[in-house]
Amino acid sequence: MVVFEPKIVMFCCNWCSYAGADLVGVGRLQYPTNTRVIRVMCSSRIQPTFILQALKDGADGVLVTGCHIGDCHYIDGNVYTEERMKNVVDAMKLLGLEGRVHLEWVSASEGPKFRETVTEFVEQIRALGLSPLRAE
Amino acid sequence: MTNNSNNSQVCYQCGTCIAICPVRRVVKFSPRVAIYDSNIYDTDTDVWDCLTCGQCVTACPQGVRLLDFFLDQRIGGEPRDIVHKGVFTELADLMTQLGNSKTTLLKGDDTAGIGYFPGCVDFHDMFFDLDMDFGEIATSSVTLLSKAGLSPKIMQLKCCGHDQLWQGNQEMFDKLKEENTRLINESGIDTLVVSCAECYRTFLMDYDLDCEVKHISQVLADADLGITNGSATAAIHDACRLGRHTGEYDAPRKAIAATGANIVEMQHTKENALCCGVSSMMNCNDHTKALRVLRMDEAKRTGADVLITSCPKCLAHLNCLKEEEDSEHGHDYPFEVLDLTVYLARKLGGGNGGDGGDGDE
Ligand code: SF4
Ligand code: SF4
Ligand code: FES
Repeated sequence: MVVFEPKIVMFCCNWCSYAGADLVGVGRLQYPTNTRVIRVMCSSRIQPTFILQALKDGADGVLVTGCHIGDCHYIDGNVYTEERMKNVVDAMKLLGLEGRVHLEWVSASEGPKFRETVTEFVEQIRALGLSPLRAE
Repeated sequence: MTNNSNNSQVCYQCGTCIAICPVRRVVKFSPRVAIYDSNIYDTDTDVWDCLTCGQCVTACPQGVRLLDFFLDQRIGGEPRDIVHKGVFTELADLMTQLGNSKTTLLKGDDTAGIGYFPGCVDFHDMFFDLDMDFGEIATSSVTLLSKAGLSPKIMQLKCCGHDQLWQGNQEMFDKLKEENTRLINESGIDTLVVSCAECYRTFLMDYDLDCEVKHISQVLADADLGITNGSATAAIHDACRLGRHTGEYDAPRKAIAATGANIVEMQHTKENALCCGVSSMMNCNDHTKALRVLRMDEAKRTGADVLITSCPKCLAHLNCLKEEEDSEHGHDYPFEVLDLTVYLARKLGGGNGGDGGDGDE
């Protein structure tokens, strides 16, 4: 049987999670290749519309990552992100896309956490299956 | 570009519409020129500055249906600025593609012949950055309807499509309309009650529904809610979609007067009511902010303790200005801005803000 390989859009902020991804690469840690990483300068750059757009364009899930609270390069950008993503996750519940959007803080030094985050999210989406927007 | 559903050809260019247009107070914009350009040159001049408030329609001596004109001009066009990064339009688009999407988590009486649709209030809570609870409009409405002996069925519809239509997106509107019409017909209700002025206009005028469509104020005006402690002085902001578009001015006043409240009228009221400044999620900018200031200043001058409206969008825009509290320039507003249903439900001691009116901001 063919295993379902989900397509996942992943947002990484330049200063922490993107560097975290680099660390995974440098450390040669293996993780699933289902994510398409989009680098943004700060997680607060990510508008809710970006996520809706990604889902509309056929992503099965959207993973948003950024610096830990207190570590944001722009002081409190990720505080806004946290609030926004909470709302987006709520909106997903109403729309029937529960579980397809997730926020996680990953710092530049947390290579293994980056790997775990991606692996877990990929498994979660795999279990959920094809996005109803893609099935159309 | 013009088609025959509007009668802009009869415009004789008197300019009355310019004189009354609220947008003209703050920026150089002219409905007369828009009509001229479309009739003579077949170009569309600035049809996106209009707030579709309908003031000009009440004043035009030739009976030009300017709202139809602007709508026609917009269809198929590219809107200039959709606020909140177009998130509500994106959501509506997703709803058209997701069969089992919901707009509310409320539960009602599934056997009722009367259906209540809260509109997108839950999404407003998520994507408006305001210290207020839009969901309370929905819970209050259900509480009030139940109190009036009309326990409703909660309608799980898609967005009504109002904003998408006025943003010129006929295609998306048609999809939403088709889906909603199907859902309403299948539900077997005979009356659809809505608490949003925009939903009301859209379901009443832009859909062809077999069931009756009512704004909640019309139901509550005739109901005995048994509220007698409404000693407040209340000013009423007539939402354009409930007022000039559909002609309902008395029902909200009647419902509020029945509580014993003293209703005061602002300088511009009923047919002449000033606009909250943003319509169809477009034109939230410094010009239209000036219109909000005008409106809120008028409300302040009445000395009312509460400003009541029946449209969640007016509510959002007026509260957005209120939260700025610019007392340095005299633009602080020491009164509450509330939705009709929230005001009544709080008086009833029901709703989730039943603690006497100062529950959440
Ligand atoms: S008020 Fe009516 S007739 Fe006069 S310019 Fe405006 S649309 Fe034309
Ligand atoms: S509908 Fe309102 S904003 Fe638009 S032209 Fe008429 S008066 Fe001006
Ligand atoms: S810079 Fe990483 S979250 Fe703001």
